[in-house]
Amino acid sequence: MGYASTYAAELKGVTFKRGERTIFNDINITIPRGKVTAIMGPSGCGKTTLLRLIAAQLSPDKGEVWLTGKNLPTLSRSELFDMRKQMGVLFQSGALFTDLDVFENVAFPLRVHTKLPEEMIRDIVLMKLQAVGLRGAFELMPDELSGGMKRRVALARAIALDPQILLYDEPFAGQDPIAMGVLVRLIRQLNDALGITSIVVSHDLAETASIADYIYVVGDAQILGQGEPADLMDSDNPRIRQFMKGLADGPVPFHFPAPELRRDLLGET
Amino acid sequence: MQNRSLEVGVGLFLLAGLLALLLLALRVSGLTFGSFGGNEGTYRVYAYFDNSAGISQRARVAMAGVTIGKVVGVELDHQTFSSRIAMDIDKTVNFLPIDSTAAILTAGLLGEKYIGISVGGEEELLADGGTIHDTQSALVLEDLIGKFMLNTVNKDDKKAE
Amino acid sequence: MRRTSLIERVRLLGRAWLDVVEAMGRSTLFFFHALFGARTAGSGLYLLFRQLFSVGVLSLAIIVVSGIFIGMVLALQGYNILVGYGSEEAVGQMVALTLLRELGPVVSALLFAGRAGSALTAEIGNMKSTEQLSSLEMIGVDPLKYIIAPRLWAGFISLPLLSAIFSVVGIWGGAMVAVDWLGVYEGSYWGNMQQSVDFHSDVLNGVIKSMVFAVVVTWIAVFQGYDCESTSEGISRATTRTVVYGSLAVLGLDFVLTALMFGDL
Repeated sequence: MGYASTYAAELKGVTFKRGERTIFNDINITIPRGKVTAIMGPSGCGKTTLLRLIAAQLSPDKGEVWLTGKNLPTLSRSELFDMRKQMGVLFQSGALFTDLDVFENVAFPLRVHTKLPEEMIRDIVLMKLQAVGLRGAFELMPDELSGGMKRRVALARAIALDPQILLYDEPFAGQDPIAMGVLVRLIRQLNDALGITSIVVSHDLAETASIADYIYVVGDAQILGQGEPADLMDSDNPRIRQFMKGLADGPVPFHFPAPELRRDLLGET
Repeated sequence: MQNRSLEVGVGLFLLAGLLALLLLALRVSGLTFGSFGGNEGTYRVYAYFDNSAGISQRARVAMAGVTIGKVVGVELDHQTFSSRIAMDIDKTVNFLPIDSTAAILTAGLLGEKYIGISVGGEEELLADGGTIHDTQSALVLEDLIGKFMLNTVNKDDKKAE
Repeated sequence: MRRTSLIERVRLLGRAWLDVVEAMGRSTLFFFHALFGARTAGSGLYLLFRQLFSVGVLSLAIIVVSGIFIGMVLALQGYNILVGYGSEEAVGQMVALTLLRELGPVVSALLFAGRAGSALTAEIGNMKSTEQLSSLEMIGVDPLKYIIAPRLWAGFISLPLLSAIFSVVGIWGGAMVAVDWLGVYEGSYWGNMQQSVDFHSDVLNGVIKSMVFAVVVTWIAVFQGYDCESTSEGISRATTRTVVYGSLAVLGLDFVLTALMFGDL
């Protein structure tokens, strides 16, 4: 139980395969409690998969995923559903329920899991919406909101039950600079004000580096590097440097593996 | 408000569906609740036919074209090797004389077989469990064609002589 | 361009079969989990009501309109054939038997697959691609119970009722053509029908058929939505598959059921 107090989540020797492709090969990650931990890497390296492993929506082929003192792959389906009440996830698309308005979306977890009286639900929902700055929008339907506002409503829904861990899946993807700035501030604020453990999966370098306390760089089915943002920027590892500096060519080649160009063009076999 | 119209809509839909099932049962298949319960409104009459081809359970029993009952059983009588048909006749038709006749008839050229009853002249009436003795069997098309062919052949033979 | 060797082809064929078997297993587990799995938080009868509305009530219009027209056409065609034998009185019996035994269950199941089935697939596929299903799961609500189960039950309940309505409306449409237009005696239209239609072998068998179709079509529709690739292309392909598989399953099963019920096998 010693580590349980310092680490909110821990992946031990996790291997995950999709078909014959190995997405992760024997990786170890520890997520400290109460901090913002970022998981970064180029697109398609399986960041979202990693998030789903932590959220137990996928289970690893090998290894253990510990979350608040429980090994997820060994839990039953109903235990998992119980477990998830302590977890909030902000999905890339927001994933608001399109048939409910903003208020009902945020109220949904409360209605499902608690038997609170209507006035109390109303107060909690308005408080959560206030926290993301959208209290005035509670009557709107999801399709009347901009992308950034959707994400903020989804964030309010994710914190409705006061979770211990918040997972963010690409929170900055496709946002304009203002919305991005708002989200960066929100993530940091929520983390500090509520004492939540935050895990941010992203490839937006500057924003992530500005809020993360600790960063893991994932690629090639492995952990390429880890450390505080400043340390990683100065890393000697060429792969990390390519990613952190945004170079087009490097250890990750610009070209998809192909036969030599001259051979393809001349039709030689 | 919107919730309410949804509930009303669903309620109407369920009602309409159940009503449709009920209509199918009562109006279309002619199922009456009495037919579950047995023979309260009917009395049983038997008739023996040499040949009852085409008559099965639930076949109609009619008098002057009006349905007055239905066939409830068809079985072979082991003594006479004829067919014994049990019919349930409506209680309101309680004026059938014991010398009434029963005939197996066909509705239209291709229609189904039914039993037609014509009234006799006796004073005594058929009671529950009574038997109609004067019967006319089913017309079997094959027999008819057979007789016709035989006649034609015989005629041809005579001509040849 | 790429040449595949014979062994490679055999391997691909085997793989394809394995995929089919796997999908069947997955859909069966999915089905039983959704229907009989433990209840999840937040589920309730009101979910079923909402689905009954979108699956059943919204399909009423198409069912009623097609029912009337099919009944009318049956009466017209039947009359033209039967009048040649002088048995035009039997038109009521013909319309009723055709509708009750075959066209009622089958056509309403086909229409249901096209109207409600495709909508179910698209809706669930859309929920999947916008991560609404994942997000339910993360809120601690089992989407199989919260989203899938009410839709399955709504389909099971709606289709038999819809097909009964279809038959009734069709018989009424047939009466309209035969009695009011072609001049068949009203008494013989209904009388002939009542004599020849048996409650057990015709009405009940028709209802049983449509219950079977309801299970199969709804199952296919819901599973295709749940299992689709979460892209817009994947959703459109899943929707097409729902209509195609649903219709084929209905027609194939109809033969089997007819043979079991009316044939002497």
